[in-house]
Amino acid sequence: MTLRGAGRALGSATVFAATLVVGAGAVLAQGGPAPGRTPAEMVATYNTLADAILAVKNTETNLVRTILGATYAHARVELERARKAIKAADAKASETALENLAADVAEMGTEGDSAVGAVRKRLLEGGHHHHADGEAKGIYDEGYVVVTRVAKQSFLDASKAIGQMARAPKADGLEAEWKEVETTWASLMKDNG
Amino acid sequence: MEGGGDDLGEPHEGQRLRRNALVLLCFAGIACARHAAAPVSTPLPVSAAPAATRFYFVDVAAQAGVTRVTWAGRPGKDHLLDSAGTGAAFLDYDRDGRLDLYIVNGWRLDGARVVERGRNALYRGLPGGRFEDVTDRSGAGGEGEWGAGVAVADYDAGGWPDLLVTNFGRNVLYRNRGDGTFENVAAPLGLASPGWNTGAAFFDADGDGDLDLYVASYIDCTLEDVLHAKPTLDWKGLEKVAAGPFGFKGAPDHYFRSEGGKRFVDATAEAGLEDRALGFGFAVRAADFDGDGDPDLYVANDSDPNYLYRNEGNGTFREVGVWSGCALDANGAAQASMGIATDDVNGDGLLDVLVTNFSQDFSTLYRGIGGGLFEDASEQTGVGPITYLPMSWGAAFADFDNDGDLDLVIANGHIYPQIDRHPEVAGTFGQRNLLLENRGGRFYDVTAQAGPGFETVASSRGLAVGDFDNDGDLDILITNLDAPPTLLRNDSRAGSWIEIDCELPGGRLNPIGTTVTLRAGGRTQRRDIASGDSYMSSHDPRLHFGLGDAQTVETIDVRWPGGSHTLRKDVAARRLVTIRKGS
Repeated sequence: MTLRGAGRALGSATVFAATLVVGAGAVLAQGGPAPGRTPAEMVATYNTLADAILAVKNTETNLVRTILGATYAHARVELERARKAIKAADAKASETALENLAADVAEMGTEGDSAVGAVRKRLLEGGHHHHADGEAKGIYDEGYVVVTRVAKQSFLDASKAIGQMARAPKADGLEAEWKEVETTWASLMKDNG
Repeated sequence: MEGGGDDLGEPHEGQRLRRNALVLLCFAGIACARHAAAPVSTPLPVSAAPAATRFYFVDVAAQAGVTRVTWAGRPGKDHLLDSAGTGAAFLDYDRDGRLDLYIVNGWRLDGARVVERGRNALYRGLPGGRFEDVTDRSGAGGEGEWGAGVAVADYDAGGWPDLLVTNFGRNVLYRNRGDGTFENVAAPLGLASPGWNTGAAFFDADGDGDLDLYVASYIDCTLEDVLHAKPTLDWKGLEKVAAGPFGFKGAPDHYFRSEGGKRFVDATAEAGLEDRALGFGFAVRAADFDGDGDPDLYVANDSDPNYLYRNEGNGTFREVGVWSGCALDANGAAQASMGIATDDVNGDGLLDVLVTNFSQDFSTLYRGIGGGLFEDASEQTGVGPITYLPMSWGAAFADFDNDGDLDLVIANGHIYPQIDRHPEVAGTFGQRNLLLENRGGRFYDVTAQAGPGFETVASSRGLAVGDFDNDGDLDILITNLDAPPTLLRNDSRAGSWIEIDCELPGGRLNPIGTTVTLRAGGRTQRRDIASGDSYMSSHDPRLHFGLGDAQTVETIDVRWPGGSHTLRKDVAARRLVTIRKGS
């Protein structure tokens, strides 16, 4: 799903919320439910709201996937730059590219940069845990949506290793670390596809 | 290389034999004669470490006249501001060769009522290790704000140390007039910046020769929020305690670029120092973490990844904390960081960083591995397990026994007094501070063998180290919530030492960012001069080196801001040496 898709789903949620207000108003106008039973219209509206809530959660997943996808794409660009610079023995260019690559891989581990972290913090403050169950089981860090703890550690380890290469670049070392990144990335995308 | 330098052994010559009270009395008399304005002061009684112990600290605060209580909100600590505490500084504001103390103060509350706006305290060092409260006549009482931290620097190159006091409220910049009085120039210079300001550091960020300033901020809240706060956070299902920092919006940090010390301009975004995560910032330390000759900046954030801003050499910075290995712990988790200590702990020429954290979590020691990169060495060095239970704040690496390596002192104290009803769960609100001895790069808890000064149980916060009695070993100043400060005089069985005071031409003191590398007794040691360190505090700007058995320092290499060097050879130990650039 693209960012445009995410926007569509958020728009749908707004429509559903409006439907809820209108639906509830209609039921009240009809004189209330039969004793002991929730009015069918309210159940239907609640179902509609449930669709919206679940859609928002899916949208969150897709948005975070998109953020990660953009970071991954940028990492690949920096990887190519690093490869070329190492091959050309251009120390300054390889240092820059490797540091940028390290930063990208770190951001994959932290599921976005610090600005995204601020949004995640807001959601947690509001009581929203995308994977409350997964957090309790130790699979996810608090508020994380796509990146598991295992994947996070793998990305962070790789980012540090790549960062260490910046001043002493090694082509084979870079390939080994990137292979780790690719493996972790593929696993995440498979689980969140 | 530049040569030269003057020796200034005066305050040390007599006190070297401090354990002889008669000699000390004589010294006090001489000192009084030289500083006619100093009141006559009876020297504090001295103590000697028992034969079986190496470290021995005695709290002499009350005897020395350091008695003003630092207030911290309400007894129940209903808001985090009630428990954030304050910083402290060692400085020599009157340039008489004796260290003075500056203690920042908070407010005392009763529910939503302000009972007392605590006044900051400036204590002037007197001969014999006593202090005189000169707050009133100096005019440095804090302007009625709820104080947080202090950073000391000669921001205007006037030749006198000035004081930046950060506040929950408007910052105060006390310009030292040089006659024992101060004036607040924060507003006209553009530094007042109201908010919950915390740790601050002066440093020459853009290499133009003047001192710029970074001020961290904690949470975005008003005094009304503080006054009407109630403990609403569920603590382990046992107690309701102060809420936060989650649930509050972080306040952005600020970077102020100095324009020749005449004016400060908020250049936070321009310099790449934007606090994009709105982290809950507490402590700040500037140092050359990547060894490329310009100052970088480390910011400890509570519950958010810490920042390492790398200086790109053109007045701009890049945040590189996560991939350089010093933003998160070994498990990739952000910690609730409070204070910072940095130094070359293992003598490999690279800066290491300790970050103090919440209780039931390690304080993390990030070992420098070169190029501005770090690895978490908390477990390996023993620091992690020792610091797991207490809640830790101010900290400093310092060679307390003068054996040539850096020990570690940490101020502790919880933020929730309610935990005292369940001491078995996470300890108590008041805690003992920690002293860790460095033995070959691994740290050992020697608190219990460190004398009566380390038996105090309090909720401590700010911490600064300095040789206030000029006897060649480092003493410790600690602030405590709702109590007077602790002043730990070091009476340990210590080895040889040297202290170095650096000056620029024209008498400008202790240039921030100066690095001194010293070789003695087969060891190479390095220190730097900083303004803003530990937890919202500032250490003695004179650089102290323990030398073990060495009686001579083979080389002293001073690297001045800008990159020039001064080299001195074969310098006798056990004295204070003043080195002036270009002399």
